[in-house]
Amino acid sequence: MPAVAENYSLGLQVEIGKIDKELKKLWEPGEGAMTRASLMNLAVYSEEPGSLEKNTQLIAKITENHACRALVICANCGPKENRVDAWVSAHCHVSRTGGKQICSEQLSLRLQGPCSELLPSIVFSHLDSDLPFYLWWQAELHDPMDPQLWEWVDRFIYDSQAWKNFSEQFRLVETAQGEAKERLVLCDLNWTRLDKIRYALAQFFDHPASHHHFAEIDNGRIDFAPGFRSTAVLLAGWIGAQLRWHVEQKNGATKIQFTDAAGRKIDIELREKEGEHPIGKISLNSGGIEFSVAHAKCGDLLEVCRGGADENPAPQLMPAQANDLASLMSQELMRGGPHRVYLHAINCVRDLL
Amino acid sequence: MSSAVTDRRYRRFGLPNRRQSVICTDMNRAADQTQPNPLREGISTRAVPQPCSVVIFGATGDLTHRKLVPALYNLAADGELPPAVAVVGFARREKSDDEFRKEMEEATRKFSRQSVRDEIWNTFAQSIFYHQSEFQDESGYESLAKRLDKIDKERGTRGNRLFYFAVAPDQFEPILKNLKAAGLNQTRENSWARVIIEKPFGTDLASARELNRVVRQCFTEEQTYRIDHFLGKETAQNILVLRFANAIFAPLWNRRYIDHLQITAAETLGVEGRAGYYEGAGALRDMVQNHLLQLLCLVAMEAPTDLSADSIRDEKVKVVRSLRHFTQEQVGANVIRGQYAEGAIDGKPVPAYRAEKNVDPKSTTETFVALRLHIDNWRFWDVPIYMRVGKRLPKSGTEISVHFKKAPAVLFNKELSDQNVLVIRIQPDEGMSLRIHAKVPGTSFRVEPVKMDFHYGTSFGKASPEAYERLLLDAMGGDATLFARHDEVEEAWAFIDTLENAWAAKKDAPDLFFYPAGSWGPEAADDLLVRDGRAWRRL
Repeated sequence: MPAVAENYSLGLQVEIGKIDKELKKLWEPGEGAMTRASLMNLAVYSEEPGSLEKNTQLIAKITENHACRALVICANCGPKENRVDAWVSAHCHVSRTGGKQICSEQLSLRLQGPCSELLPSIVFSHLDSDLPFYLWWQAELHDPMDPQLWEWVDRFIYDSQAWKNFSEQFRLVETAQGEAKERLVLCDLNWTRLDKIRYALAQFFDHPASHHHFAEIDNGRIDFAPGFRSTAVLLAGWIGAQLRWHVEQKNGATKIQFTDAAGRKIDIELREKEGEHPIGKISLNSGGIEFSVAHAKCGDLLEVCRGGADENPAPQLMPAQANDLASLMSQELMRGGPHRVYLHAINCVRDLL
Repeated sequence: MSSAVTDRRYRRFGLPNRRQSVICTDMNRAADQTQPNPLREGISTRAVPQPCSVVIFGATGDLTHRKLVPALYNLAADGELPPAVAVVGFARREKSDDEFRKEMEEATRKFSRQSVRDEIWNTFAQSIFYHQSEFQDESGYESLAKRLDKIDKERGTRGNRLFYFAVAPDQFEPILKNLKAAGLNQTRENSWARVIIEKPFGTDLASARELNRVVRQCFTEEQTYRIDHFLGKETAQNILVLRFANAIFAPLWNRRYIDHLQITAAETLGVEGRAGYYEGAGALRDMVQNHLLQLLCLVAMEAPTDLSADSIRDEKVKVVRSLRHFTQEQVGANVIRGQYAEGAIDGKPVPAYRAEKNVDPKSTTETFVALRLHIDNWRFWDVPIYMRVGKRLPKSGTEISVHFKKAPAVLFNKELSDQNVLVIRIQPDEGMSLRIHAKVPGTSFRVEPVKMDFHYGTSFGKASPEAYERLLLDAMGGDATLFARHDEVEEAWAFIDTLENAWAAKKDAPDLFFYPAGSWGPEAADDLLVRDGRAWRRL
């Protein structure tokens, strides 16, 4: 019977050399119908004290929709001596079809000592074979980047919104990608935050008859919450990259001026506004028509509206992206394939991030 | 390959358009109306269809309440519908827009797969309208045309119309004729008109041809979407992915390695108030002609040249054309028909079919059919295909099983009777399993079958949309891949007719066997396999 982490405890403490044996014990026959499921190895790396409990709680939520083998790692690089403490547990959820419980294993590790030495060996020895390896890096990246580790990672998940120095951190991300021979898929949760907004904005232009607006957009505005300027810049970068605009100039922190292929100037205003949503609203104006996507009053929906002098606005509600980490991760894990468009967006506004 | 062909390839199955990655880098052509939306690149969700009005004929019926409006609501809630959409219910009963909206709200709260949120419903409800008219009344269609024009102006639905026939087949013709008379079948500049037709597409080959003729007088084949909701199911679509995205199955998928196929569609329900229709149809017309033959096509077809609607349907129709037709004498030996007698389901007594309301006490309508078929093509020649479909069977489920040939009877296999079986579960608990052999732990060499199991519900963090959601969205987006083409329908009827004709013959007609409700059908159905040295798979 699995040691279910219902109260987000770390589960059963085990000796490092007996992790596999203890994991097997979790699945010895017990009461109730339970199925161990795993679609991926998800390693979560943090250097924040107390992160094991916090991340256990996150994994409990993430595994509701994404069965995985979770390796939750908290590293303290201070001590000179290496020490590893380990726990095993399981997160079980009743399946959508009812009745059966679907369980994911979690292995929690507290590493002390020169972390970069320990991490690859610990991770490699506890991966579920043949499943992809996703690494969620919650700490700042620092040199040296261990090539051994990055060669094994399939998707590298991070949140650039929390970075203090974007260019330095992204340089290290690119180093990791280089070590992985470009195979590594970069998954920025700051980009995931924009998923639903990008979708809502894109759908305005699905009809070919609306494509002429691309060449007529003359200005726009993005309202962002304090602390989410980088999210707003990334959103502007996405529009710019996809419409082949180039950054002409930035006017302080409040405006980005782009030029399009025809040399027209497009001003995107960035406005910090109190609010609970990273991006409160985006609007684009084109030939007297406003295309706007804003959070509805109820919060978890987007109000999408196209309006102009001669048009009756037809507002529509669409799902919004929740900003908590569990929701962002669930959304990110649902998406496959390389995120090339993200890199285009980054390259468009890299100097502004 | 031409760019148009490439486009079609990548539009199917909701795949992003491959051209986007190339063409969107050239914004000098952005204003060109043939170009894709550059903001769509990399967004995994499919493009939102063009604004349109969905007109549902039979708006007060069961299908509209249980499936269509809940499906449209779910699409709206998931942000898959265009902002400018209108749903116009068309039916005979007097009703105001508000009364119809209220009815639809109640139905959606009851039948929707996700709970109804007031904010979303209130916005969605503004797009729902009701139009009262008799189906035969020409003036009702003239006023419908005016109303749709008004909705186009007010809601920006751009003259695009999707007509959904959720009515009995005898209403198809008058509705089609009146739509034509009112000019509603005509497409205007930069707009479209499409029609979705619910089964049954005829009752035999002659009536199917006649229906296709009538439809063709109003709508072209490209405008016509014959819906078979089985094809909208995730697992049905996954059959092609299983076969053509996994290299390990391709070499095995032929007569050399496959011993036989089984397709079962079982339900515990009886006729459930559909006696009026079912008495004239029976299990063969109701299930085999459409759902089961469509599933067979997906399992047996060759790889299409691309993922466009016609490429896939070209391959499917070849399977139906290759079905070995029976002579009258062969029907009795290869097709078993049955009817449920009284019995029990889940321990509760249930009446015989003939004792059901509105059923003729001497009815010979079949509620069960078992067939032994052959496909005379290179891949499947001489591979028996056993199909069974029935009401009041012990458990509900639709499955396809591929039974592979036995390993040589040497080493471990001397005593083994089990085969490797790949099971594709269409419903419920959508997924797949593979039965293989494994050594039982211990000092002796005992080999037992074990099952490797994949469940959609367990493996993916996203619930599957209802079949009607997928199919409605496809029709709005102009994707006919998951809809039956006229020739598929006609070929299927040509095959079914030989069976129906044999049963209807005055002389030497095959027997109708009775089976107790709650059993797996008549013994004769078991014999169909026993004489080949096989048995039905236990569900």
